Amino acid sequence: MSGGPDDQTGLPGLRTWRRVYWAVVAALAAWVVFLCLLDRAFG
Amino acid sequence: MNAADYLVLVGILLGIALYATWNTRRQDSLRSYLKGSENTHWFTIGLSVMATQASAITFLSTPGQGYQDGLGFVQNYFGMPLALIVVAAFFLPIFRKLNVYTAYEFLGSRFDSKTRLLAAGFFLLQRGLGAGLTIYAPAIVLSSVMGWRLDATIVCSGLVVVLYTVSGGCEAVNLTQKYQVGVIFAGMAAAFVIVIRSLPAGLTLSDSLAVAGGFHRLGGVDFSPDPARRYTFWSGTLGGFFLALAYFGTDQSQVQRYLSGGSLRGSRLGLMFNAVFKVPMQFFILLLGVFLFVFYQFERPPLFFNRAQWQQGVAHDSSGQLRALEAGFDSIEDRKAAEVKAWLAARRAGDAAGAEAARSAAEKSQAAAEEIHARAFKALSSRRPGVSANENDYVFVDFILDHLPHGLIGLLVAAFFAAALSSKAGELNALGSTTTVDLYRHIVRRGADDSHYVTASRWFTAFWGLVAIGFALFAHLAENLIQATNILGSVLYGAPLGVFLVAFFIRRIRGTAVFWGALGAQALVFVLYFRGLPVSYLWYNVIGAAACVGLSGAIQAVRGGEAAAA
Repeated sequence: MSGGPDDQTGLPGLRTWRRVYWAVVAALAAWVVFLCLLDRAFG
Repeated sequence: MNAADYLVLVGILLGIALYATWNTRRQDSLRSYLKGSENTHWFTIGLSVMATQASAITFLSTPGQGYQDGLGFVQNYFGMPLALIVVAAFFLPIFRKLNVYTAYEFLGSRFDSKTRLLAAGFFLLQRGLGAGLTIYAPAIVLSSVMGWRLDATIVCSGLVVVLYTVSGGCEAVNLTQKYQVGVIFAGMAAAFVIVIRSLPAGLTLSDSLAVAGGFHRLGGVDFSPDPARRYTFWSGTLGGFFLALAYFGTDQSQVQRYLSGGSLRGSRLGLMFNAVFKVPMQFFILLLGVFLFVFYQFERPPLFFNRAQWQQGVAHDSSGQLRALEAGFDSIEDRKAAEVKAWLAARRAGDAAGAEAARSAAEKSQAAAEEIHARAFKALSSRRPGVSANENDYVFVDFILDHLPHGLIGLLVAAFFAAALSSKAGELNALGSTTTVDLYRHIVRRGADDSHYVTASRWFTAFWGLVAIGFALFAHLAENLIQATNILGSVLYGAPLGVFLVAFFIRRIRGTAVFWGALGAQALVFVLYFRGLPVSYLWYNVIGAAACVGLSGAIQAVRGGEAAAA
C-alpha cells in the first residue's frame, strides 16, 4: 500500500480495501445464514 | 388511474428529465460527455450502477416471482458481491491507470486491434438488440393493464430517454439515475407498507411467515447439486459470479458507470455499495411478492392476474368453459381461505396435529387451484393464440391498481418507468460511447478534436435510441426476434469474459490466440445451447469463459515461438 488518497477507504473501522472486501463477504454470509434460519423457523 | 395519478406520473418523469437536460446542456469535452463530472460522488456512482442493472422488469416481475415461487430467486445474486470484489480489486485499477473510455480500449492496448473490435462487436450486438427489449418489456405490461396504446407508450418513453441521454451524456445519465432510484425506492417502500397493512387484522408477522413457509415460499437457499435446477446456492454463487463478473467487468453499460467520477476510491465505494445492498434489495422485492401471496390467501385472487387478457377471452367464449373454470377456481380459493384460517387457529391453540391437517388440506387446495389455472390457460390460448403464460409480470401491478390510493398509483407507475428509463439510458450512453471510441475514432476518423467526437457520440447515441424504439415497436410482430435476443443475452457473456480474464491474469497469452479462442468458445456455447444441454442458463457463462481461457492457452502453446518473437 502506497498510502495515496485512493488507498484510503474513508470508512470508519474499515481502513483498508482488504477489510472492506472481507466485510462484504461477511455480509453475504450473514444473508445466507439468515435465509436458512428463516426457512428453518417457518418452512 | 385518474388525473392525480397522471399528474404525478408525468410530473416526476418529465421533471427529472428536463432538470437533467437543463443542468448538463453545456457538454463539449469528450471526457465529461463520456465519463461525467470529475466531482461525481461515490454514492451517485453506486446508485447509477444499481439503476443501470435494475430494469423495470426487476420491479414489475420480481414480486410476481416471489408470489409464484418464493424467495429462491435471490440465490441468483449470491455471486454478485464476490464478482464486484474482483472487479474493484483487479479490473478497476487497470482501467483507471490506462484512463480508458471503454473496457474494449484496454483490450486494444493489452492485445491488438482485432481483439478490441471483437469484444466491442460482442457488446454492440448483445446490447444493441437488447436495448429494444428494455423499453418493450415494461411497455407491453403497462399498456395492457392501463389500456394505453402500446406504440404510444414505447415512443413516448423512448423519446424522453433519448432526449436527455443525447443532450447531457454520462453526466445527465448519472444525474437522472440518482433521482429515478429515489422514486423507485419511495414507490416500492410505499407498496410494501400497503401490502402489510392490507393483511387481515390480527394476523401477526409470525402468522404471515408461517403461511408463507407452509406453502414453501420461504425456501431462500437450496444446496442441491443438481445443475438442471434453476435456482440453487451453487448455480447462484458460481454461475452468478461469472455472470456478474462478465456484466460488471466487461459490459460497457456498467464499466462506464463506475469509471465516471474522478477517483479510484469513488469507483470502488460505488461498487462496494452495490455488493452490500443488492442481495437485500432483491430479498425485499421478493418478500413483497411473498406477502402478496399471504394476502391472497385471505382475499380471493383473480384466476388470471392479466385481467384484460382474461376478459377478452371470456368475451369470445360462447361455450361458457372459461366462466365455469373461473367459478371452480373461486370455490377452491374460498375453501382454501377457510382451511388457512383453521390452520392458524390450530397453530395459535398449540394443536400441532390439527394445524398440520389444516395446512395439508390448504396445500391440496392450492395444487387444485394451480391445476385449474393451467387448464384455464390452455383453454384461453386455444381461443386466443399468443396469450402470455407469464403471470409474474401482472401480479404486482394488478394489486397496485386495485389496492393503492390514487396518487400512489401514479408514483408506482412512475417508479416502473423510472426503472425502464434509467437502465435504458445507461445502455444508450454505453452504445454511443463504444461506437464513437472503438469504431469511429479508432477506425474511421482519428485525431479530430473533442467537439467533433462529442457531436459524433450524440449522433450515435440518438441512432441507437431510434434502433431501440424501432425494435420495441416491431418486437410484438416477431416473437422469434425476442427469443433470439433473449438467447443472445444469456449466452454471449462467457467468451468476452474469458478474453478479459486472459488479459488480466495470463500475461503470456497474446492477441491472436485469445481472438481465436474467444470465437471457438462462443461457437462451443452456441452448439451446447442449441443441443439443449440440460443446465441452468447461468452455467453457460462459466462454460464460455473457461473454454475461452482453455482454447486461448492451447492456441498460444502451439504458437509459442511465434508469440515470443512478437
